[in-house]
Amino acid sequence: MTDKNVLIIGGGVAGLCASVELANLGIHVELVEKSDFLGGHAIGYACKATRNTCVKCGACMVEEKLKNAVSHPNIKILIGSQVQKISKNGRFTVNIHQKPQYIDSQKCNQCAICSDRCPSDGAILNGFSKNNIPFYGINPEKCLYLKDTSCHICRDECPEKAINLDEKDSKYVSQADAVLVATGFQPFSPVDKPYGYGLFKNVLSTLDLERMLKQTARVKTPSDNKPPERIAFIQCVGSRDSKLNHLWCSKVCCGSALRMARLIKERQPDIDISFFYIDVQTFGKDFEQFYKDVQEAVRMIRAIPGDIYETDSQKLKINFLDNSTHETLEEIFDLLVLSIGITPCKDSRELAGMLDLKLADSGFVSAGTEEASDFENGVFTAGTVEGPMNIPETMAGAGRAAWDIAKYLKPNGF
Amino acid sequence: MNNKTLIFGNGPCAHCIAENLLAAGKDLVIATPDKTLHFSLSVDSGSVEILTDTRLVSCRGSAGNFRILAAQNNQEIARRVAGVIIAEEDQRKSNFSQYGLKASSNVIPLFRMTELLLDASRDPGIFPEVKKVAFLNGIFQESNPVIAEEIMQSALRLQSDFNLKTYILTNNLKVAGNGLEALHRETKKAGVVYIKFTDTRPEIHSESDGSIQIEFIDEITSKKFRLTPDITVVDETVVPSNYAADLSRILGVDTDPDGFIQADNVHRFTVFTNRKGIMTAGPSRIIQARDDQIVDAGNAALASALLMAGLAAVPENRAEIDKGQCIRCLTCYRRCPYRAITLNTRVVVEPHACERCGICAAQCPRGAIHIKDLEPASISKQMTTGDTPREDAAFTPFLVAFCCSRSAVQAGELSLCMGHKLPPGLKVIEVPCSGSISFNHIFAAFKRNADGVMVLTCHEGNCHSEQGNTFAKQTVAQITDMFLQIGFEKERLAVQTLASNMGTEFAEMVSRFEANIIELGPSRLKKNQ
Repeated sequence: MTDKNVLIIGGGVAGLCASVELANLGIHVELVEKSDFLGGHAIGYACKATRNTCVKCGACMVEEKLKNAVSHPNIKILIGSQVQKISKNGRFTVNIHQKPQYIDSQKCNQCAICSDRCPSDGAILNGFSKNNIPFYGINPEKCLYLKDTSCHICRDECPEKAINLDEKDSKYVSQADAVLVATGFQPFSPVDKPYGYGLFKNVLSTLDLERMLKQTARVKTPSDNKPPERIAFIQCVGSRDSKLNHLWCSKVCCGSALRMARLIKERQPDIDISFFYIDVQTFGKDFEQFYKDVQEAVRMIRAIPGDIYETDSQKLKINFLDNSTHETLEEIFDLLVLSIGITPCKDSRELAGMLDLKLADSGFVSAGTEEASDFENGVFTAGTVEGPMNIPETMAGAGRAAWDIAKYLKPNGF
Repeated sequence: MNNKTLIFGNGPCAHCIAENLLAAGKDLVIATPDKTLHFSLSVDSGSVEILTDTRLVSCRGSAGNFRILAAQNNQEIARRVAGVIIAEEDQRKSNFSQYGLKASSNVIPLFRMTELLLDASRDPGIFPEVKKVAFLNGIFQESNPVIAEEIMQSALRLQSDFNLKTYILTNNLKVAGNGLEALHRETKKAGVVYIKFTDTRPEIHSESDGSIQIEFIDEITSKKFRLTPDITVVDETVVPSNYAADLSRILGVDTDPDGFIQADNVHRFTVFTNRKGIMTAGPSRIIQARDDQIVDAGNAALASALLMAGLAAVPENRAEIDKGQCIRCLTCYRRCPYRAITLNTRVVVEPHACERCGICAAQCPRGAIHIKDLEPASISKQMTTGDTPREDAAFTPFLVAFCCSRSAVQAGELSLCMGHKLPPGLKVIEVPCSGSISFNHIFAAFKRNADGVMVLTCHEGNCHSEQGNTFAKQTVAQITDMFLQIGFEKERLAVQTLASNMGTEFAEMVSRFEANIIELGPSRLKKNQ
């Protein structure tokens, strides 16, 4: 055990993995997460195993890392917290703002009564893992009590008396010997693309679909809550896009989309699936076989559609160039899934300013800059803050960062 | 205590691991079959022994105390090390036969072009009379970003430094690597022409004078084209080193189907193998770009440091073999996925290697292996039903679900958290691995009045013990056969697979099972109450 303390900013895959590794080396960790739940985007991902066989997406490993992190005595977790100021005088002094913790994580037993009884839609948020502790959070923008004190059903009905709606925000000051920036990525917002996301009910992102499959195990069309007959996946939305100056492949979308397509096809075989793409990227060690199988289940079309229109019955009409006939085809789908890319997180821009980190032209943080300033000494990065990565790569990046931090701190017995 | 780490390898990844461990003051042995070491070390604190021209002969013992035997010039070398890291290089196989081509002065493998371009920095006149170069990439077999990067880099240099016309013929261009899409754009800007094949394939002819003609249909315009490159560059398949097969066999570590040292199993992320204390890094485990090898090296060093830190604790409640009962049939030795069973004068369990999966105990035909708290007798004590009856059904079936602690137990807890209602008569029995479930465990459940028994395992390829789920399925299949013969409803016993994040699926599975059992009515094996 040492008296060294590391502040990790970001409780997603990279932050969790690095926390666990450092904690196992006997180093104290303060893990700061801005949202109400640890696990990042990946904790909402579904298991995409088909034929009772794992497809190695790594989503279940995120569950395991989260479980290890929340139970580790060397890790202090601060959810709903954001770094406001960092200064360095030998050690880092980090000012952290923590949102009110309305639900007492010690008392909440995840009974769901608050969520069931709340009259305001979206006011009670829930996590994706049983290791999201507490499993619920209160959204101040939707909560009626926080708006005008008109409702306190959740507080009154909670059998554990775990809810205090008068909780105030708080400040926390961390003294750290090293800082790890693991703020992750911003999923590309497809609202500016001509695909009708946010406008048409039956256009989802891959993230939405991952969550839908995790929650309900089946795909449904949002407009009527019925299984769709035809689904189209569109790849490279916000990736490999020179108009946006997004000159990168997001690496994870072909794997995520094709694995979900095959899962849907297995569970709901009546659904027709079309997959629009530029180049299918290799994912997983058994890619060759997977790709052969999936081409039998899914109609692969090497084209990216143009504008999308909604029909009167809330279906989606899309145009694309069919390579085999060299004609423009028009087809109608019940559900459209946009494979949204990994883009730089705006928090990383702010933190880069505070920590003197260099940003590449892409907006991702340049990892491992040659000449570190005195301030930068002791500042490390890991995960998708550096650029697109899948779950195993993110875990590896976090392990490497943990090792670099350990080398830098040289705790006792190291 | 021994804190030495043995590194197998002689490339950048092995080099980086060695530097990392030396910086942390660890002692090292580096072993390679090569005659010389290809890198030099800046030793600052730890000590290092270099064994060149050395091949592994055997490895006994377990994490913290591996007894290594190696051969150097027909001499035997014995060393004791705490941990082993495999960091071998990969190798390339040229894909000439895929394209129906043979190597010649104008048909060259990719590595040769890379070499030529290195030489070309000294002699710019290296490509006389060459105007057009064609690269063949992943047309008949899927390629990968490592090869795609090398092709794009080569094409870019030929195009911009030598003013040659370059063509890349490919199916799926693999740009899922760092900076590759930007590189792809740069090559296009420099004038590299990409010809992509989806539904068609090019026809490649070698003419009698040795020249190459490539005929193809442009899939966008559907026009026919003919390309006559002066140099045709054939891509490569990345495969494990020749030594990797020996190493994996002697060390008893699993490989993936292509022979890379690491099973294709998420529990082995990032640098782990089935054997505790033996790590695998860089191109010995996966096709990997240079930058990622440095990342792997950090992980291997970290894993090694954590291994040493963890060895201080003596593992508790590991498998123990009752020597009076053991008949040396070696079932346990063959079945143990972690190589924790050692054959000495008698068969013993290495406590530091045992992961307590329980497979050996379940598989032992003599019942000679015991693991505390996993015995059928102690587990059956947990088999008690709840007291909330179902009001909407004729009876409330008592259901015993043996659940793997890594997957199904987690899924069950998530299921409750998500608000799913589970059958009131469901009893979850947590086991470390479904491979620990023996006939006796399942019979005990029926004896304790279960109306139905479920075995909920990890998905295939996701079992931490590699084969535990398969053994569980075999056990269930054998009992099902038995039930058929004696006329007992086989539907009362089911095996299914789950992952830890499948809360909804868990609820669906157990509820469907409950409905089946309600349909069947109470078990006839039930004692009158």
